[in-house]
Amino acid sequence: MAVPVPWACCAVLAAATAIVYAQRHSPQEAPHVQYERLGSDVTLPCGTANWDAAVTWRVNGTDLAPDLLNGSQLVLRGLELGHSGLYACFHRDSWHPRHQVLLHVGLPPREPVLSCRSNTYPKGFYCSWHLPAPTYIPNTFNVTALHGSKVMVCEKDPALKNRCHIRYIHLFSTIKYKVSISVSNALGHNATAITFDEFTIVKPDPPENVVAQPVTSNPRRLEVTWQTPSTWPDPESFPLKFFLRYRPLILDQWQHVELSDGTTHTITDAYPGKEYIIQVAAKDNDIGTWSDWSVAAHATPWTEEPRHLTTEAQAPETTTSTTNSLVPPSTTKICDPMELSSGAGPSAPFSIRVPVTLALAAAAATASSFLI
Amino acid sequence: MDLRAGDSWGIIACLCTVLWHLPAVPALNRTGDPGPGPSIQKTYDLTRYLEHQLRTLAGTYLNYLGPPFNEPDFNPPRLGAETLPRATVNLEVWRSLNDKLRLTQNYEAYSHLLCHLRGLNRQAAAAELRRSLAHFCTSLQGLLGSIAGVMAALGYPLPQPLPGAEPAWAPGPAHSDFLQKMDDFWLLKELQTWLWRSAKDFNRLKKKMQPPAAAVTLHLEAHGF
Repeated sequence: MAVPVPWACCAVLAAATAIVYAQRHSPQEAPHVQYERLGSDVTLPCGTANWDAAVTWRVNGTDLAPDLLNGSQLVLRGLELGHSGLYACFHRDSWHPRHQVLLHVGLPPREPVLSCRSNTYPKGFYCSWHLPAPTYIPNTFNVTALHGSKVMVCEKDPALKNRCHIRYIHLFSTIKYKVSISVSNALGHNATAITFDEFTIVKPDPPENVVAQPVTSNPRRLEVTWQTPSTWPDPESFPLKFFLRYRPLILDQWQHVELSDGTTHTITDAYPGKEYIIQVAAKDNDIGTWSDWSVAAHATPWTEEPRHLTTEAQAPETTTSTTNSLVPPSTTKICDPMELSSGAGPSAPFSIRVPVTLALAAAAATASSFLI
Repeated sequence: MDLRAGDSWGIIACLCTVLWHLPAVPALNRTGDPGPGPSIQKTYDLTRYLEHQLRTLAGTYLNYLGPPFNEPDFNPPRLGAETLPRATVNLEVWRSLNDKLRLTQNYEAYSHLLCHLRGLNRQAAAAELRRSLAHFCTSLQGLLGSIAGVMAALGYPLPQPLPGAEPAWAPGPAHSDFLQKMDDFWLLKELQTWLWRSAKDFNRLKKKMQPPAAAVTLHLEAHGF
């Protein structure tokens, strides 16, 4: 029994709803982005509101206690990382935030750590950097490279965002390279630079595919092979020398061998039967420093197969049962003197009184003569 | 060549010395000749030895020059006032150097460098330092001889001594003490860089000569590129 609501009433109601909806969800002015330093104090005014205006503050939708307020301003002391968030102030009883602040708590950058290395000599070198401590806010880095007075381009690495590459145009230069980096964020700025000669930063990547294998019939040998690192562009003209280290797992002391060429080496003084760990490092023959150690290879030298008496003793039963004058005792039967004496054939010398051990030895000797 | 007053006598004396001590070309024994391989290896080894020797010598000499020359961060701009042979070369050009040019550049460079080294006549330098310098000069002389040997084995002519060197010269402006020290600094730097370069040069030559086949065929191959 609905009373037909007049058309005008409907329209007003719809309009009111639309206005309220619009007020709640209308695009606000974009929140003001603010960066503040960790540990500092900050006072957030509620936009243009009077100091004595009645407002409530919310952070990420949660009300904040009024004791943080200084009039209409929000006071945050001793900022912590957890204080980061979207702060909004509302007139009391209003859905509509008067002002919003997106607060980021962070730190100004410390002096960056910059290092350069040439693992692709003579093609070029790369420089990489990082900050010794996090800033918790976005940072931008700017790298410049100089060779004497000539500016060189440092191309960004496609995969790593804290690395860039410089190509050598001239080799054997007496002029040093200078690479500078500056880092800045909303709270501060820092920079550093390094200077170096072409030769001092050469450090190849470790050798690849280090494989160690036992050598058959040689219980003290291990054969080690490896490959020059794939990043080294020209091993023919710029040969590498290698450093090999090895030790059995049970010992701490490494043995070292330096090799001027070739990518194989045979260890000849391995402890028999012990598992070994082997690593190889590389260096340009003449300049630079040693690479890091390669991934370790493990190997145990060849050992002779141990002989199992029981399996050997049982075999002749099936193959040559007639010629054997002695019945080869099974493991359970070994200790039974009665069994020994029951064997048929010209086994007269083997009487009951033969000690078991002697009979066993004789059985093993006979049995092994059939196996060989 | 821009000769400075202070260096003039030194240069003259040096030229005379170079011409006098021009390394005797080793008699080429064509029968049973192992080819240039072993002498290239020897030259390579000499560059390594010299580089090692230079490290000690340079440290001592730079300390003698005093700061800022002995500071590790010392990175002066190269004014080019000295007339030293530069080791630096474009990568592609270096790669494509033919053997004759490669050897010639090395030979000429060390001739010049030896000349300059002999001119390092520091009266104030300690006797020990002068001895080390003299010893290094002798070793460098040995390297020159070794390179000459390789060139002879490959049939390349030795480069003629500096064409522009005439006895009369216009005396240039007096060299200040600081600038003289700068020249010394660059001499040592260039010497060190040349030795690094030579190691690579001779390694490249060594690879080309391998494998050392019969002596006769080796000689044929040596002239082929």
